[in-house]
Amino acid sequence: MSTNVQAQTQSIFDELAARQTWRFKHIVYIALIGAFLAWCADGVNLRPREVFNAVPIIADYFGRMWPPKWGFVEAIWKPSIETIYVALWGNVIATIVGLPLGILAASTVTQSRILRGGAMGILNVFRSISELIWAILFVAAVGLGPFPGALALGMNYGGILGRLYAEAIENVDKGPIEAMEATGASKLQVIMFAILPQAMPQFVTYNLYWFEVGVRSATVLGMVGAGGIGFELITSIRLFEWREVGVILLFILGMVTIIDMTSTYIRGRLY
Amino acid sequence: MGSVTFEDAVNAAMRLEAQARTRRYIKLSAWAALAVAALWYSAHQIKFSLAAVIHGVPFMWDFITRLFPPDLGYLTVLGGATVETVQIAIWGTLLAIIFSIPLAFLGARNTSPHIVVFHLTRLLLNSLRAINELVFALIFVSAVGLGPFAGVLAVALHATGMLAKFCAEEIEGVDKGQVEAQMATGASRMQVILFGVAPQIVPQFIGYAIYRLDVSIRSATVLGLVGAGGLGFSLIQTMKLFKYHQTATCILVIFLLVLISDWICGKLRRRVI
Amino acid sequence: MLMPGSTQSAPTILSVRGLSKSYSGTIHALRGIDIEVKEGEFLVILGPSGAGKSTLMRCINRLVEPTDGKILHNDVEMTGKRRNLRAVRRQFGMVFQQFNLVKRLSVLTNVLTGRLAYRSTWRSLFYNFSKEDKRIAIECLARVNMDHKAFQRADTLSGGEQQRVAIARALAQQPTIILADEPVASLDPKIARQVLTYLKQVTQELGITVLCNLHQVEYTREFAERIIGMSRGKVVFEGTAADLTDEILHRIYYRDPDEQDDKDHS
Ligand SMILES: Nc1ncnc2c1ncn2[C@@H]1O[C@H](COP(=O)(O)OP(=O)(O)OP(=O)(O)O)[C@@H](O)[C@H]1O
Ligand SMILES: [Mg+2]
Repeated sequence: MSTNVQAQTQSIFDELAARQTWRFKHIVYIALIGAFLAWCADGVNLRPREVFNAVPIIADYFGRMWPPKWGFVEAIWKPSIETIYVALWGNVIATIVGLPLGILAASTVTQSRILRGGAMGILNVFRSISELIWAILFVAAVGLGPFPGALALGMNYGGILGRLYAEAIENVDKGPIEAMEATGASKLQVIMFAILPQAMPQFVTYNLYWFEVGVRSATVLGMVGAGGIGFELITSIRLFEWREVGVILLFILGMVTIIDMTSTYIRGRLY
Repeated sequence: MGSVTFEDAVNAAMRLEAQARTRRYIKLSAWAALAVAALWYSAHQIKFSLAAVIHGVPFMWDFITRLFPPDLGYLTVLGGATVETVQIAIWGTLLAIIFSIPLAFLGARNTSPHIVVFHLTRLLLNSLRAINELVFALIFVSAVGLGPFAGVLAVALHATGMLAKFCAEEIEGVDKGQVEAQMATGASRMQVILFGVAPQIVPQFIGYAIYRLDVSIRSATVLGLVGAGGLGFSLIQTMKLFKYHQTATCILVIFLLVLISDWICGKLRRRVI
Repeated sequence: MLMPGSTQSAPTILSVRGLSKSYSGTIHALRGIDIEVKEGEFLVILGPSGAGKSTLMRCINRLVEPTDGKILHNDVEMTGKRRNLRAVRRQFGMVFQQFNLVKRLSVLTNVLTGRLAYRSTWRSLFYNFSKEDKRIAIECLARVNMDHKAFQRADTLSGGEQQRVAIARALAQQPTIILADEPVASLDPKIARQVLTYLKQVTQELGITVLCNLHQVEYTREFAERIIGMSRGKVVFEGTAADLTDEILHRIYYRDPDEQDDKDHS
């Protein structure tokens, strides 16, 4: 009996000791992470003093944007709309690129591992190259202007959307697919009648969301000459015309807000 | 059922089907016409041209062939820039996490102290989200000078908008029962937030923060285009000097970095959630 | 209800011989099934959950490939060839426990999908069906009294209505045999009887043979012309409702203690 109690106490002590070392391990981890973060901060010149100094300077720069130079609206009206067109066509191209690849990459549709892996590989490459790099490439190919911007968004977001499409397809209810196969429908018919109708709301949701994101990125494509408001923005900043910058930022904000609201409305009516 | 009535029912349904089809076609054609018009007009505005793409293929091909072979010797030079890119992303995300926690509580309907505070916070968050990090980077480069510091601030601000909004929505969706149970014990507002709300959202928040880190690494790779540090700077510099073999190396490194971060962050997220 | 004797003389439409199926080599769902199905009969396969009823149906329709054995349809062997799979499958209409309608499509479009195997893939890409197909589909809907809801979305219907639409979809295939896999398992008793009545009545009018899986003894007694009892992947009984004694039910359901299931006390 007593040996039993002793053994139990001993085991509790052991556990406490184990916990102690566990705590010790955690302290070591935290110290290591702290050191790592400090090293990172040092690498990017981030020091508390600098951050404190930066705050008033940045506030000052945003202050210079006020009051906005409203007359500038005339000059940026057109490029703003162009930004939306770029995003729109980017979205269309992304769907054209992403949909077939996404269908091929879905395990429920494509049996062949090679085909599936190939489609997924292409999607990953498209996804991993940012729209700005695509834009540089397309500007080299078709010259300056909004068109290469749309192509660039199309490739990058095609990769992103394709992967999301594939996931959506894999997650649809399998029952109707089986029922359709049982009627003797062909593969393509199963896709058209059982898979796409079920996955459609998901697809539209993704497209709307990435359209919003596309509008935001399209505002900077102009920096590499790929159309939209980015060109005006970079010019105004280079010329230190802060009150013009203020107008542009307000414009972007307004545009994004309107699109945000519209797409929330559409999404609400989907299912 | 008699055969006459059965025939009648079928014929009636056939007629209805024909009507419904006509209506559907009209509706569909109207929408299609609208969509085609919108796309056609915008295509015209952005000078969309398949011919340009086809004509552009040789130019693009030329550009791509000039990228090859990538100058692997340049890798040693890029090491520093790569590390810097990751550092920018890490601190940008970390600052965003720090900023977004209080902002999320101010910007959630159920924890915000006042409706005005709620709306102002949401406005601020929407503005931060709407403005691309490259735009922030441009402004900060003017304000605090060229270099990664401007990049960190840019990533931090944009990511704060995203993280705080996500987190605010999570807070609004918490289980009310647990919160009420805490209030019933007489806990203070702060205690309710700490013990009733926070535990419910921590896993999602960590998951989203990891996702955000992945996105930040992606954006950090291009911040250099406007002089805010990282790999993008080498990318644009080598291009301006027509050292395309080195540009290719930059693209390769960016590509690998994004792939690796995607992989690691995906793994981490799956472990958290 | 037809006399048991009347199907005796009818020719065999489907015969299953020594059918076995094991999943991943370890789970033996079917262990040598022999069944003869007579043309035009309403055959119920009765068995507890896990007996292999669904697997049997899926093997007949080739949704799964059997491991061993033969299936002859009108004396033509169907196992093995994958070439004319579409033509084979369209001869068998299938009705599922979960209805398996495409919820976002209209009732009529759902029934029209039963016509897909008769039409070229390219035409159906645009959701375009011929007038003839539409007439067939509407007739099938009228047979189960669902023609008045033809243009509603499938997810606006009740469970019983959805199952009737699913029956119409199977009928639209103009099949020789309908395979119904627990068609009423997720319906309440009143609606379940209604659906089974439709299934039986319509198939009798059209001379379609029915193979129906059930796990409720009551419905089996009420609707079956002939009954096959299955337990643990084997046929353990063959006969009419009159032959279905308590002793035999016990053999089907409670033979093994681990075969007891919460599903079968309806
Ligand atoms: N795809 C599959 N993979 C592995 N095992 C399976 C698969 N489908 C069925 N099984 C197994 O085969 C056996 C028979 O299953 P089946 O679905 O045919 O039974 P059932 O009689 O239809 O039962 P229920 O009344 O539950 O539908 C079960 O043990 C089941 O676990
Ligand atoms: Mg079953």
